[in-house]
Amino acid sequence: MRNIIVCLKVVPKSENIIFDPVTKRLDRSKAENQINEADKTAIEIALRVREKQGGRVILISMGPPLFENFLKLGVAMGADDAILLSDRNFGGADTYPTALVLSTAIAQIGDYDLVLAGEESSDAALGQLPGQIAEFLDIPQVLFASSVEADAGKLRVRRRIRGGHEVVETSLPAMVSVEMGAVQPRFPDFKKMKRALSQFHLTVWSSRDLGLREEVTGNKGSFTFVRGLSEITPIRRKKVFIEGDVAEKSTQLAELLRERQRS
Amino acid sequence: MTRKEIWVIVERNEDEIEDVSLEILGKLTVLAKSSGYKVVGIVLGTSNESVLRDVIRYGADKVILMKHERLNEYSNDLYSKVLFDLASSEFPTALLIGATYYGRDLAGRLAARLRTGLTANAINLKMDEEGLLVFGVPAYGGKIMAEIVCERARPQMSTVRPGTFTKFFDQDRKGEIVEVIPDLSSIQDRVRVIERKVTKSKDLTKSERTIVGGNGIGGDLSMVRRLAELTNSDVGVTRPLADKGLAPRDLQVGTTGYSLKSRLTLILGVSGSEHFTSGIRDCGTVISVDIDKESEIFNHSDYCVVGDVAEIVPAVIKKLEEKR
Ligand SMILES: Cc1cc2nc3c(=O)[nH]c(=O)nc-3n(C[C@H](O)[C@H](O)[C@H](O)COP(=O)(O)OP(=O)(O)OC[C@H]3O[C@@H](n4cnc5c(N)ncnc54)[C@H](O)[C@@H]3O)c2cc1C
Ligand SMILES: Cc1cc2nc3c(=O)[nH]c(=O)nc-3n(C[C@H](O)[C@H](O)[C@H](O)COP(=O)(O)OP(=O)(O)OC[C@H]3O[C@@H](n4cnc5c(N)ncnc54)[C@H](O)[C@@H]3O)c2cc1C
Repeated sequence: MRNIIVCLKVVPKSENIIFDPVTKRLDRSKAENQINEADKTAIEIALRVREKQGGRVILISMGPPLFENFLKLGVAMGADDAILLSDRNFGGADTYPTALVLSTAIAQIGDYDLVLAGEESSDAALGQLPGQIAEFLDIPQVLFASSVEADAGKLRVRRRIRGGHEVVETSLPAMVSVEMGAVQPRFPDFKKMKRALSQFHLTVWSSRDLGLREEVTGNKGSFTFVRGLSEITPIRRKKVFIEGDVAEKSTQLAELLRERQRS
Repeated sequence: MTRKEIWVIVERNEDEIEDVSLEILGKLTVLAKSSGYKVVGIVLGTSNESVLRDVIRYGADKVILMKHERLNEYSNDLYSKVLFDLASSEFPTALLIGATYYGRDLAGRLAARLRTGLTANAINLKMDEEGLLVFGVPAYGGKIMAEIVCERARPQMSTVRPGTFTKFFDQDRKGEIVEVIPDLSSIQDRVRVIERKVTKSKDLTKSERTIVGGNGIGGDLSMVRRLAELTNSDVGVTRPLADKGLAPRDLQVGTTGYSLKSRLTLILGVSGSEHFTSGIRDCGTVISVDIDKESEIFNHSDYCVVGDVAEIVPAVIKKLEEKR
């Protein structure tokens, strides 16, 4: 197997994001960052493919310098290398320029058989980036995968469809996005973590390193624009507690179910 | 120049059109009426006349049939090719796709090839004074709605979350049907389907009464199923249960599953994470059972029962069986 490239995004934990109704802005300062859950699954799948088929697992991420330590976390999980794509001009990118930057970097790394990503990110949750990367690289894609097996220049993937699943086969190189939780990601190895933090040298590529003009990246290269944000407030519920022992509670519950069934 | 047309990719399984495609058409009949846009349904494959007529009855002003046997089943390579060719010669102002697995698979590649903006899983669709579409999409675990616009490229593209909009139907509605025979001789499908396993499960977004089981039910859905039978309800689950394979993903409630609109929802052993509760926002009465009296789920419930589901549920089942 040639290179296995995993696209990784760092996301804020949604639980701690606070919406300010006056400024209509999000306060992310309380939110802890983490590797997008589905992307951890993608790393695990990459490591398992490598165990069977060989190859090098390379992580790439487009984002600010704060992503560095998360890439190192991925190295501590077992990835061979990691590249951060970082440039002031990359800021404010929608999916189109994000896919452009990532696919340019993938082409620059070269010699790849498999590109993996998560099914979607937990913040914007669009799920559309992997298909765009596949288009820019002109390789086939299989999205929403729950298992991936590579063998003899071919890829066999189980993917989710409405009401069930399909097993599909495709040639290499290919792009695959994987379902969050399809496999249990391993924990970063403690020794590797120490080494990743002290010795591992993270590669950083800017727009110049990728040969991309300013107009095609970031905000300038984007087509969509977030015009506004609003909070989807939970609706107020009655919150009436049904009291009593098990018998009383279940009698009342049965009543509620029966009554509401008729109405 | 772009045409004053909004296109909907009609997804279907032979003669059966996906509800989400019809829901988008329904929403557009309202939007288009006030703005003078034509609603166009795009059907791929070979098709009965009756399907094409239905697309019109459900709200299209015009149907384009991309007629080719090789398009009868979804293929990312073939669909993106024919839709790119068609859209780049006809210039619709917008192109909408249901956010099904196939729809989402298609949308990314197609938008990239068309060099245009794309948003996903819209739960709201408006038009501003300039005639620009404003897509409302949920973000951050469904607690924030972002309003997305695409100003400088066409078509404006989005996928639309199933179960969001209401269908429209007019038996006598008339419209134009156009047939196009695409040239597929130069294109190969790089992905080959070897096996397909599909079971028909209930469309949760249409469920009137739902019982949702979470981690607190102890890994076995039989009790929940029995209760559902007795109360004429459908069964839903939280993500961990779907992950473990206890139920298909189609029965999952939440941001990465479906949103319920049930009149009555009973929730058993669910902690009430934001990713889950965004899926019960539009429910009528919500009743929850949880062993932890501090469980967040109670803040999203009308009636709350603190207790062990392993005790409460069998007792309720017994009561309902007695009184049948
Ligand atoms: C509230 C909000 C709404 C947005 N709406 C839109 C919109 O409507 N249209 C639009 O085009 N953009 C939108 N964006 C911007 C979009 O989130 C970013 O462009 C992002 O980098 C890619 O989109 P995603 O995270 O949704 O990708 P997804 O397609 O959901 O991500 C799938 C996978 O791609 C990989 N990936 C994603 N981002 C990166 C990265 N930076 N580096 C490496 N790998 C990555 C990961 O493996 C991830 O699991 C929005 C952003 C926010 C915060
Ligand atoms: C990107 C992303 C997307 C997600 N999408 C979804 C989604 O679409 N849908 C979804 O559901 N989740 C989703 N999740 C997961 C979500 O965050 C929660 O982890 C999940 O909803 C928890 O499921 P649960 O409530 O069943 O389990 P738990 O959180 O484990 O809660 C179990 C509950 O049962 C109670 N309990 C335990 N034993 C008993 C008993 N004997 N009797 C009564 N009560 C008992 C406990 O007190 C607890 O409240 C997503 C997560 C991420 C990161």
